[in-house]
Amino acid sequence: MRPELGLRIGELELANPVGLASGTFGYGSEYEELVEVDRLGALFTKAVTLEPREGNPPPRIVETPSGMLNSIGLANPGIEAFVARKLPALREMRCAVFVNVAGASEDEYLEVLERLEAAAPHSGAAPRSGATPRSGATPRSGATPRSGVDGYEINLSCPNVRHGGLAFGTDPAQIERLTRALRDRTSRPLVVKLTPNVTDIAEIARAAEAGGADAVSCVNTLVGMVIDLGTRRPALATATGGLSGPAIRPVGVACCYKVSRAVRIPVIGLGGISRAEDALQYLLAGARAVQVGTGTFVDPGCAISVLEGIAAWMEAQGLGRVEDIGGLLESPSGR
Amino acid sequence: MKQFEAEVLENRVIAEPWRELRLSWDASAGLPRPGQFFTLRVSSFSDPLLRRPFAFSAFDGARSRVAAIYQIRGGATRLLSEMASGSAIDVLGPLGRPFPEPREGERPVLAGGGIGLGPLLYLAQSLFAAGRAPLLVLGVRSASRMPSIALPEGSVVCTDDGSSGFEGTPVDWIAHNLPPGRARLYGCGPLPMLAALAALAAERGWAASLSAEQWMACGVGACMGCALPRADGSGYVRACADGPVFEAAEIDWRRR
Repeated sequence: MRPELGLRIGELELANPVGLASGTFGYGSEYEELVEVDRLGALFTKAVTLEPREGNPPPRIVETPSGMLNSIGLANPGIEAFVARKLPALREMRCAVFVNVAGASEDEYLEVLERLEAAAPHSGAAPRSGATPRSGATPRSGATPRSGVDGYEINLSCPNVRHGGLAFGTDPAQIERLTRALRDRTSRPLVVKLTPNVTDIAEIARAAEAGGADAVSCVNTLVGMVIDLGTRRPALATATGGLSGPAIRPVGVACCYKVSRAVRIPVIGLGGISRAEDALQYLLAGARAVQVGTGTFVDPGCAISVLEGIAAWMEAQGLGRVEDIGGLLESPSGR
Repeated sequence: MKQFEAEVLENRVIAEPWRELRLSWDASAGLPRPGQFFTLRVSSFSDPLLRRPFAFSAFDGARSRVAAIYQIRGGATRLLSEMASGSAIDVLGPLGRPFPEPREGERPVLAGGGIGLGPLLYLAQSLFAAGRAPLLVLGVRSASRMPSIALPEGSVVCTDDGSSGFEGTPVDWIAHNLPPGRARLYGCGPLPMLAALAALAAERGWAASLSAEQWMACGVGACMGCALPRADGSGYVRACADGPVFEAAEIDWRRR
């Protein structure tokens, strides 16, 4: 039996559960010669803010054991240039495109979303995107032109900007209010990206659900710091940064386990996924879909192997649907 | 640009702790140009995690082979140095913006600091092939660090301690010996050397194309990690996709 890999996020159908994480794939064009994006379920773009942002001073990156620390600072061209220069290429994508929205204030998030809604009118057609791993890319159903924006991922948890970002991502009342305000302005799927840098991530996820989010993605990077002994300075110009890569995978899996038991909306798992085995841990923990992030830097083709590996595993297990994977998790031994 | 599996053909010591690596090259990835680079994944495990960038030091189109010279600095380059001939390695390239050709009437002068020699060797190879014989000026710490690698005819060697050749840096040599007139400096080496070269070029009215180095994660322009400050203060460029070669006046070489 060939497994059904598709799933729904709100009203949107994704062809399969593998996406590319925000901030690791630009706006889709940088990797076009290297990755068959059309075979994947979704692309989550680099964050977009209202005004252009230069980002943080270098050094912005340092390698850590089985991971990396970054402090990019949401460098992006701003909404106007995004619409003019990036959106046309995103309209050509066959996979679902979630535009990652960031801001320094509630008003900024709302304005970025409103500008995107205006620039990419909602056709109402839910694109059936991507393709199964074996058949190659499936043509999009119907002749409806794509808007380039199939949904939004709300970046409430960037650890590297002083205002907004992490500050928003840690207060449940603010998250609920902002999510509701965004909900009032769009019928497209809203995914709220959660930070693990909180005491109780489940509480934050419940706030996003209460505000009307269609899904949560979990987790963003963990705050970390590396000090260069030679210079006795922090390795990054901003002192601290966001830790990603295989080092954080157990944290991400635990967060998905907690969050998926606290909310009814789908959980999209990310953090240190570069092989199908990694993704399957997230799916067993309760995630419905996954994102590959830092793994793409190391091996641009790894998201495709993750997808193929999930399909092969499901087939070997005789599983019909990707959402059944979560139900296979056994109790810890001895319990 | 392509990701492919190459074969390690040679990995030899040219001066401790420097190595010269030769790899097979998949011609369908495209022809590398001087100043461009490729990245290697040196381990299939997660530590070291990130790919490492290497500038092309030679390209043999007939046999489809490339070379790079590198210095053992940490765990990743140590692992790379232990790879024997015949090993398979994950390659991604060619990447980045190459050195521009010298304009009509510009004398090409190549200034290399230490391991920065690599991309200049390939540039010299291609300039000779184009009939634009360059002058290469190489600086190393001392005679004991002189790499056992063929330098182009007429090259000048400088040592910090005067144990061989000119005592001083390539920038000192150029400042004292390069006659006025049209020239294009090509530089690759430590940041202070590039800053000095940029200042000298501005003072003498020479064009200068410099290859920058910065930590990078993706190598293709997606991660925005390898930022370098623009000279005019208007933000940053990416060393990987906007460079690694920049005109000297584009970058603030004194800040990092």
